[in-house]
Amino acid sequence: MENWWIALLLGVVFGFLLNKAGLTSYHKIVNVFRLTDMAVLKFMMSGLVVAMIGLYAMRGLGWIVFPAVPATYVVGNLAGGLIFGVGMALSGFCPGTCVAGAGEGKLDYLIPGILGFLTGAAAFGLTYEMVFPQISRLAAYGNVTIGQLWNIDSWLAIGLFSAMSLFLFYLIDRGLIRKDRLSSAK
Amino acid sequence: MNRVRQLFAQELWSPYLAGGLLGVVGLLAVGLSNHLLGASGGFENLAGIAGQAVAPATFDNVYFNFVMPAVITWNVVLLAGIFFGGTLGALSAGKFRWRTMPDKQWVEVFGASRVKRWGIAFGGAAVLQYAAGIAGGCTSGLAISGGMLLAPAAFLFIAGMFASGIVTAMIVYRGRF
Repeated sequence: MENWWIALLLGVVFGFLLNKAGLTSYHKIVNVFRLTDMAVLKFMMSGLVVAMIGLYAMRGLGWIVFPAVPATYVVGNLAGGLIFGVGMALSGFCPGTCVAGAGEGKLDYLIPGILGFLTGAAAFGLTYEMVFPQISRLAAYGNVTIGQLWNIDSWLAIGLFSAMSLFLFYLIDRGLIRKDRLSSAK
Repeated sequence: MNRVRQLFAQELWSPYLAGGLLGVVGLLAVGLSNHLLGASGGFENLAGIAGQAVAPATFDNVYFNFVMPAVITWNVVLLAGIFFGGTLGALSAGKFRWRTMPDKQWVEVFGASRVKRWGIAFGGAAVLQYAAGIAGGCTSGLAISGGMLLAPAAFLFIAGMFASGIVTAMIVYRGRF
């Protein structure tokens, strides 16, 4: 029960941050794919850098143990991402931002959006046994991390990812994005 | 205190600030309940609950009994939280409003048809959820939660998502890309 209060509280903060970052708007999501507004990328990479450093530091100090690491099965992870990008660029939301947007009073998120997720979830659950075991067997490495897979120090990977993120942020903020020529962008 | 109040009343925060704080939320999820943040997982549980209520025989399978059981889970409660977090964010900036259509940019590209918007929202959502099932999570459950643990799966997913997202946007926007 106590865990559920934590889930509720963390969910509220999560939804609040999605709202404040503007990610509950159609244009913010689509424009990252048009390379005219990189807020989604900045949000994701900042979150990743902070969480990576924090998690590996806390584990190093012996404060936490990691939950099961999401499984790597190259074909499925990549194919899923490829299909996911199509849905995201068309609708202008993803599961989390749709739920937060629904909470803001966006009825196109609340009604067709949430019904669509439930429909997709039912479809996946009903076809799971036909689809998933096959695809998750292809190029499967199990619940590994980059450090384990390539036998490198995780801090090296974290350092590289952080440096790459900061460099990308610097380039974006120096003006390395495309100019938006849509009239609604003005 | 005044500055905090001002920040809360602001409609948009720097994505670096909001994203960094999201990282802290991801950390706390692991530290406090040994769970990963993730939005698509909760929809699987909810679909199972609804399905078993409507068509118990069809939804009585391995998936909805064992893989993603048809019960209220940590992730379902998280979804409820995300919903109210959105409400709180909108209220704090005085932006809460019932509306049926997205912003101006949608209308400029797709027109003002509500049927078209709602159709694409429904179809897009179904595609997103099925894709998340295949990939093993969505933007939060795989890209962010997997990425922060340094799971290769997360970076494969992010690469795929951006590649096809860019191509899809090019096709939809054509000359206006």
